[in-house]
Amino acid sequence: MASTVAVELPHGGFSFDNCKRNALLEDKGFKAPKAYKTGTTIAGIIFKDGVVLGADTRATEDTVVADKNCEKIHYISSNIYCCGAGTAADTEMTTQMIASKLELHRLETSRKPRVCTANRLLKQMLYRYHGYISAALVLGGVDSTGPHLYSVWPHGSTDKLPYVTMGSGSLAAMAVFEDRFKPEMEREEAMKLVQDAIRAGIFNDLGSGSNVDLCIITKDKTDYLRTYQEANLKGVRQGTYRYKRGTSAVLKTEVKKIVLEVIDTQVKPQAMDTD
Amino acid sequence: MALGSICGLQTMTKLNSSLRENCNLLNSQDSAFVNEAIYGSENFVTPRDIDILSNQKNLTDKDSNVKIHFDHGTTTLAFKFKHGVIVAVDSRATAGPYIASQTVKKVIEINPYLLGTMAGGAADCSFWERHLAKECRLHELRNKERISVAAASKLLANTVYNYKGMGLSMGTMIVGWDKKGPGLYYVDSDGERMKNNMFSVGSGSTYAYGVLDSGYKWNLSVEEAYDLGKRAIYHATHRDAYSGGVVNLYHMKESGWIKVSQTDVKELHYQYQEEKSRRR
Amino acid sequence: MSILDYNGAAIMAMKGKDCVAIAADRRFGVQAQTVSMDFDKIFEMGPHLYIGLPGLATDVQTVSQRLNFRLKMYELRENRKIKPKTFMSMVSNLLYERRFGPYFVEPVIAGLDPKTFQPFIASMDLIGCPMITDDFVVSGTCSEQMYGMCESLWEPNLEPEDLFETISQALMNAFDRDAVSGWGAVVYIIEKDKVTKRLLKTRMD
Repeated sequence: MASTVAVELPHGGFSFDNCKRNALLEDKGFKAPKAYKTGTTIAGIIFKDGVVLGADTRATEDTVVADKNCEKIHYISSNIYCCGAGTAADTEMTTQMIASKLELHRLETSRKPRVCTANRLLKQMLYRYHGYISAALVLGGVDSTGPHLYSVWPHGSTDKLPYVTMGSGSLAAMAVFEDRFKPEMEREEAMKLVQDAIRAGIFNDLGSGSNVDLCIITKDKTDYLRTYQEANLKGVRQGTYRYKRGTSAVLKTEVKKIVLEVIDTQVKPQAMDTD
Repeated sequence: MALGSICGLQTMTKLNSSLRENCNLLNSQDSAFVNEAIYGSENFVTPRDIDILSNQKNLTDKDSNVKIHFDHGTTTLAFKFKHGVIVAVDSRATAGPYIASQTVKKVIEINPYLLGTMAGGAADCSFWERHLAKECRLHELRNKERISVAAASKLLANTVYNYKGMGLSMGTMIVGWDKKGPGLYYVDSDGERMKNNMFSVGSGSTYAYGVLDSGYKWNLSVEEAYDLGKRAIYHATHRDAYSGGVVNLYHMKESGWIKVSQTDVKELHYQYQEEKSRRR
Repeated sequence: MSILDYNGAAIMAMKGKDCVAIAADRRFGVQAQTVSMDFDKIFEMGPHLYIGLPGLATDVQTVSQRLNFRLKMYELRENRKIKPKTFMSMVSNLLYERRFGPYFVEPVIAGLDPKTFQPFIASMDLIGCPMITDDFVVSGTCSEQMYGMCESLWEPNLEPEDLFETISQALMNAFDRDAVSGWGAVVYIIEKDKVTKRLLKTRMD
């Protein structure tokens, strides 16, 4: 607890200050609200030159679609990316945390990070929290030892496989993989397969929707294809519902002028008038 | 009697006793069809192997998975004064925090000399007051005179008492004019029935009472009484989240009820606000 | 009942052409009882930066004060104005620290970049999952109604005056279908050279 006198200093780790209060409130019958979830379809495969990761872009809050175009493929390092499913805040923060740890590790060792390192960091963090951090991840990347693909479960177990799916749409996506996956695929073929797997999730799983994001990682290049396919086009609105100015009755208006700060001053040297 | 014989029933006694007996329609053999036609709407057919009370709990419990919330929030009031009875109600219907309607008629016009108000379950109130309307008409046909307010309210109280504990939810005021003059009774689904000069029912009733108590006098003029009724409802809608919409105002006179006005509380708010600033 | 519904609130933010708008209702209630009608839920975090905090009123005030503190520390340390996106990360971190014992607020952020004046809006869930959008964000007890209104009223590149009408009508018509929010509204239109704050005439029931 921060004292009333001492300044609150930033410290690492979680704060459990509110837990007791929140438990009391829950006892009184006030339900805790739900966090954003990514009832998701995420998938990845290994192909000839690297890995392809794919994700849908729907975020839900209970039954409401909270975000129609969210980013589920998270940056870990330039050669490693990670798809996240589960509680959105958890996947976001966990991947950010591992990305920063890995960057420090990279600076310390002067080597490109390896996928197995990222995997180990993730599973150790998730295991420490006993599954309370609900992040289900698909981790993929290419390092000095070649392409690697992992699935990471919220309790900290991991699988290393040539093709994986996760999230509520994982069954639909896996069905596509089981049908059409073969080792050593060409890039285009692999991209088409992942796209179709994600589409299967988008159209058959209610928790997944909107667009397909892809990320193709090869030995010397990473292509992050945000909105690779707009699977669900929004109809074009025919009319307009614009209100006439002055429709809303106003009781009071206050205008606050903002004096712009001088950020930079440049003085042009001019020749002195010596005549 | 005429109605009874047309329907194949010999006497009114039989009519009344069969009313009590045919709780289970399957048992009445001879005139099941006729009974069904007459009473089908007023006896709930109970499904087999289901406990109604626990089933009802599923619908009304806060933690239930069944997402049905019955309307509850309301403000209704009625008071007697020198020139009759004033009835004023709001018009909001809510399902949880969601406002389902702002234009609900919460005064039920039973007949030209009887009004009922609606608080609690909207369906319960409108159904049982419609049933009451029928009973009152039958009373008129049998006895060749209008039913008294006391009798009408007792009829309703007795009916709902039969369903006590089964999940009915209603808090209503029965307002009328009979031989004894203006009548005002409070009846609720617990079976309670009370007589008084002033009542207010619903989630906003405490706010309404506050205004009524500070402005009420027996000798109010008609205009003053109208204003008091409107003000009390307005203040209740202002403070109570589950009351709002418009104020429906009725006046019960010797010649029967009249609907006085229907005013949006938004207009009232800014009107009262202006009055307040003028007084300063 | 959810704890977020205890006091009631409705807040939304919208992007316009070189401007952003953020609007909130003004009710502070305790369940059915309306206690006050001049409660602030939108807080100024900089000349071009505003945050709206719907949720449990006690947490609304605590979070706003904690943010104020962190923001001042940041600006002292860095000697410059914070960017909206950086501020969003600050809010997100504050909330995620309490992942297992959260504050019951779902923030909405609206602002212009202090240098480029690019419009920015974002919202967050109660444990700090950020969501940046290009159109509008909503949060509060009548979010379904607000989503519906915004989806139909919002259009791209609205001028400040039109943005004001759009956000006002979207908010008012949304909370008129919610029992626990409303009772007045406040709208901020944030432009490069000025911020206009307007109080709206609304239903008071």
